[in-house]
Amino acid sequence: MSNRDRGQNASLRLPEAGQWPDKIALGVTIAGIVCTTIGFLLAFLWVPPVGGATVSGVALIGDTMVSQKMLISQKIFYFHMPVAITSFVALLFGAYYSVRYLMTNNERFDTCAAIAMEIALLFVVMTMITGEMWTRFEWGVWWTWEPRLTTYLILMLIVIAYFVLRNSMSSPEARAKASAVVAILACIDVPICLMITRLIPSSIHPVVLREGGMSPEMGLCVGITVVGMFCLGFALYRARFRQVRLTQRVEALKETFGD
Amino acid sequence: MEWGWRKLVAVQESKAPRMGALCKTPSAWMQYKTLLKKDLQAEFRTKDMLVSMGIYALLVIVVFGVALSFARPGEEFLEVSGGLLWALVVFTSLLGLNRSFSRETENGCLEGLLLTPLDRGVIFLSKATANLLFLAVVEVIAVPLYWVFFSSFAQVAPTAPLMIVPLVLGSIGIAGIGTLLSTITAATRGKDVMLALLFVPIIFPLLYACVAATTAVLVGGALMDSTFATSLALAAGYDVIMLSAAWVLYDFVVGV
Repeated sequence: MSNRDRGQNASLRLPEAGQWPDKIALGVTIAGIVCTTIGFLLAFLWVPPVGGATVSGVALIGDTMVSQKMLISQKIFYFHMPVAITSFVALLFGAYYSVRYLMTNNERFDTCAAIAMEIALLFVVMTMITGEMWTRFEWGVWWTWEPRLTTYLILMLIVIAYFVLRNSMSSPEARAKASAVVAILACIDVPICLMITRLIPSSIHPVVLREGGMSPEMGLCVGITVVGMFCLGFALYRARFRQVRLTQRVEALKETFGD
Repeated sequence: MEWGWRKLVAVQESKAPRMGALCKTPSAWMQYKTLLKKDLQAEFRTKDMLVSMGIYALLVIVVFGVALSFARPGEEFLEVSGGLLWALVVFTSLLGLNRSFSRETENGCLEGLLLTPLDRGVIFLSKATANLLFLAVVEVIAVPLYWVFFSSFAQVAPTAPLMIVPLVLGSIGIAGIGTLLSTITAATRGKDVMLALLFVPIIFPLLYACVAATTAVLVGGALMDSTFATSLALAAGYDVIMLSAAWVLYDFVVGV
């Protein structure tokens, strides 16, 4: 095999980057920033307090003592829920790409899965932070072993363990396979975490439908923020994917032409 | 792989129908039995895993005893003891699972196993069964000991013997998912830590359900009525989902 042939063959297998989603990534980033900003402004300036309540001091609404502080703390719902939904979606994508990897053995999907899990970890941590802030005001504690909180903590631990596992394996193929399996197992926890507040009636974590649904204003605000968070998640995913993929490409080029 | 083997055998049979020994592919059940027998034989010759698991369980009980030495033994203690029993089971099974696959990685055992034309799912099932049996042996010793040390002074509810149900369901899940994870972590650096890191969060829903069910049977009364059936349903559902997932995914993690 001549030198030129080898170069051509290798170039066929080079990690590629910059497909069509990269073209819309910038627009999506801007859309995400605009949507989340609009959502933020709407949540505080436009959406009325839950149940139409305006309280100065303390009042009894629906068998609970409500203060102005609690009504403000409810505003975090407009970020907490979209971020949590985005984290679930990112985890589902991680599992999807893991399945694709196991089906095709294409290392591109391994990179996709790892980056989807990175995005998932980011959003999971943001959910935890916003959730704990709310818990501190509403329940008066930073943490309680409530089913939803516990399953979500477990989800976070699995995602962290996913990255520890990736770092502790040196063979790329073994690492890809093992981490794909763990990503699929993590995905099984998603529906458990999603449904546990419905399954265990003693759970005190609010469920939108159980609280009487959302008013149209609330729904619009949450919808805009959800769209914004999805856009941000996608944009971050593309940016990181491009970076990692280009790094891999450089490494592959170095290996091909290094000697 | 099994297809190729069958075809090969069929060709041999058709070419030499009267050449003496009839060569047949062993059924999956036969393969499973052989592999399980191999695991059990290897263990019962040395007994090192069983002995270390048993002694470790006893030591965990001693540690619990020290940790709880200022708690007043009484009826409230029952609400804690169900959970502690599961802590004991999880720690002990971790120790066993760490060992279960490392034996295969020595002396090229794994290569031999993978070269044999059999379905990887069969390897998983036999490994999981062996782990389940070892765990069961240890539990048969450790649970009565635990009972003597931590529950005998309190008046348990008459439903207490039902404790066997969550124990069985929990052990099945632990052995199943633990076999998959110990296979994954056998190839990693610092595999003992890695197994614990993956095993505890992934096993958590099952652990939660089993602790709820065990506490319910020990305390009885309203807790029994409200949580026992739900918890067992959750544990059984988790077992079914996780075991099938592990069985399917085992193909990918063994021997890469």
